[in-house]
Amino acid sequence: MQLNSFQQQAFDQQRSHIEKFGRRSWGWTIFFLLWIIVGGYALYLQNADGHIVTGMRDNVVWGLYIANFIFFIGISYAGAVISGILHILKVEWRKPIIRLAEMITVIATMIGPVFILLCVGRLDRLHHLILYPRLQSPIVWDVFAITTYFTGSVIFLYLALIKDFAIYRDAKLKIPKWRQKVYRALAIGYRGTPSQNKHIAISTNLMAIIIVPLAIIVHSVLSWIFGMTLRPGWHSTIFGPYFVLAAIYSGTGVLIMVMWVYRKMYNLYDYILDKHFIYLGYIMLVLGAAYGYFTFSEYLTDWFGSEKWNSEVIHKLFSFSEYGWWFLFANVAGILLPMFIVAFPKTRKPGWIAIASFFMVIALWVKRYLIIVPTLESPLLPMQDTRLEYVKYSPTWVEWALTFAGIATFFLGFILLSKFVTIVPISEFGDKEKTIEKTTVPASDIAPA
Amino acid sequence: MAQTDSSTKAEVKEATTYAPLITFISVQKNDNGVDLKTIVKAKINGALTKLPGIKIEFTIGADSTAKKLGEAITDSRGVAIFTCKPDQLTTDKEGKLNFKASFAGKDSIESAEELVSVKRARLEITPVKEDSLLSVKVKLIDLSTGTETAVAETDLGVFVKRMFSALKLGEGKTDAAGEALIEIPNNLPGDAQGNITLLAKLDENEVYGNLEAAVTQPWGTPVSDELKALPRALWGTLPPLWMPITFLILMTAVWGHYIVIIFELFRLRKEEPKTAS
Repeated sequence: MQLNSFQQQAFDQQRSHIEKFGRRSWGWTIFFLLWIIVGGYALYLQNADGHIVTGMRDNVVWGLYIANFIFFIGISYAGAVISGILHILKVEWRKPIIRLAEMITVIATMIGPVFILLCVGRLDRLHHLILYPRLQSPIVWDVFAITTYFTGSVIFLYLALIKDFAIYRDAKLKIPKWRQKVYRALAIGYRGTPSQNKHIAISTNLMAIIIVPLAIIVHSVLSWIFGMTLRPGWHSTIFGPYFVLAAIYSGTGVLIMVMWVYRKMYNLYDYILDKHFIYLGYIMLVLGAAYGYFTFSEYLTDWFGSEKWNSEVIHKLFSFSEYGWWFLFANVAGILLPMFIVAFPKTRKPGWIAIASFFMVIALWVKRYLIIVPTLESPLLPMQDTRLEYVKYSPTWVEWALTFAGIATFFLGFILLSKFVTIVPISEFGDKEKTIEKTTVPASDIAPA
Repeated sequence: MAQTDSSTKAEVKEATTYAPLITFISVQKNDNGVDLKTIVKAKINGALTKLPGIKIEFTIGADSTAKKLGEAITDSRGVAIFTCKPDQLTTDKEGKLNFKASFAGKDSIESAEELVSVKRARLEITPVKEDSLLSVKVKLIDLSTGTETAVAETDLGVFVKRMFSALKLGEGKTDAAGEALIEIPNNLPGDAQGNITLLAKLDENEVYGNLEAAVTQPWGTPVSDELKALPRALWGTLPPLWMPITFLILMTAVWGHYIVIIFELFRLRKEEPKTAS
């Protein structure tokens, strides 16, 4: 395939990343693999000895695993919603960052459901979910929704990659033959003819249209697992939109972090510009405000109602001897910090926005933990067995090891994918060179608003 | 020593240690067993807080001849109950039962103990039905002397067992024969067979402590325990019709898009210029 000057420039800058697996990449790969091995040992212990090695007991039956599950499915929204909406709206500045967003989606959607499997006590009965599904159960809705969402995310990413695969195929890269064969197969004969472009355009438009409502449904279904349960702190009508909003919000934060890391590591300053951080910062600001509004509304109604069981959960969240500090952190770092960082021109810089995103993402993970655990520690019926470990949940090293193994898998997925495809899409620079020219203005020329 | 709900005063001795307050009572039942009940609290941050997970050891007899009965752990309400079988019970020379509940101390909670001393007695309940008039005859018997002695001039209460707690039906005072006759309403809701459980209670008596007797009679109005069909329920055998319909529409819409896209990709592959390949 013939590349124009912009495509050639972008490809030349990135080809070394997909041709070589350098020392630094090996180092990080081994580092994350070690994490995963420790997680593997924890998984072995959990399977051999049962869930007794975790902190979960009869009353608190969900813990870190479910918090991780919601978190990873949440951040997968980065690609689905951001790239989907920006594609539909034909926003040109999305092009250099869209692949990172879609990579987050696919990798996070692969990791999230694994945590459900870690939480399930009888994995040998897992196939019963498919063989004997109860359509009345939100859990079954979730299984179908996530499977469908994952399939859609993979298709969406693949559609965006076909043209690039054709470029890799024709570029005579210094790579093993098997990889050349893989690129050839994945390019599915794309040669850039008008009719082929039309097929890709139709498919991408269809996916962009369907992926947004699909993502909203998936996270709504996930929220209904909680919302449809008559438990204090969970039974809420706003949980659907609240979860969706929190998911897009955390996904935006992860996208900003990943952009910052790859821009620095791969020296992509000509493509991932300051304005990308600022625009995503604005999106984060709006989402943060909306998320803050939902949070306030949720807890205000629970607190004001003073219903006995809800009050017990609220008391745990507000009490500094229980979850008060975590609740404060979740709201300060998760709502106020990103808004302040983006609101002031002095801090509206990539580094600051990335730092705010980092704390916001951690805060939103803490928030998921606070949704799950305090409620389960406040049962509607009195507990029969009141040993402290039954009343109070505290995660064991096994759960932490598997949590960090999940995070390590996320990073490892990025390392491996970024060695297989270019981080900045090459083919995207083909259609509207004028726009690209505009996009590739040096970062220093973009003055903060 | 006079029985009853006695307690040690809770006080914070140090910033990190707490003196627990144990409330201890005994309930003598008509099967000759005794329930020993403790409630454990401590003053923490100025408020009396129920202490769960506290292991209470129960013993019977004076210190030199004390015999361990067993242990119980407090629940989330700070309550621990131990049921004492008749063959475990021994009285002293005065015919008294001397129980002790003790906590050995744990972490920041100090050790504590509490005593209860009550005379051995029994409460008997006998249902009486005359025509349509329902009543129960309750008799209080002192067992401390080795022979059964009726106890007169004592106030008693009769209750019916409900789902969460007992509902009071009436009160009476024992006569010279130690008996009291208390009328029972004839329209009480019962179980599916119309059975109701009637309880006679003597509460917080200075000599005998707490006594209880129960009898089950078919004097209630039968209330069916069969689950009635609910207009809708997620736990029903089949989902409501709208659910599979919505599910199928959504799944068909999404997977239909996927199929169209895959079809488009097949066409893309077919249209590869032959010269290029």
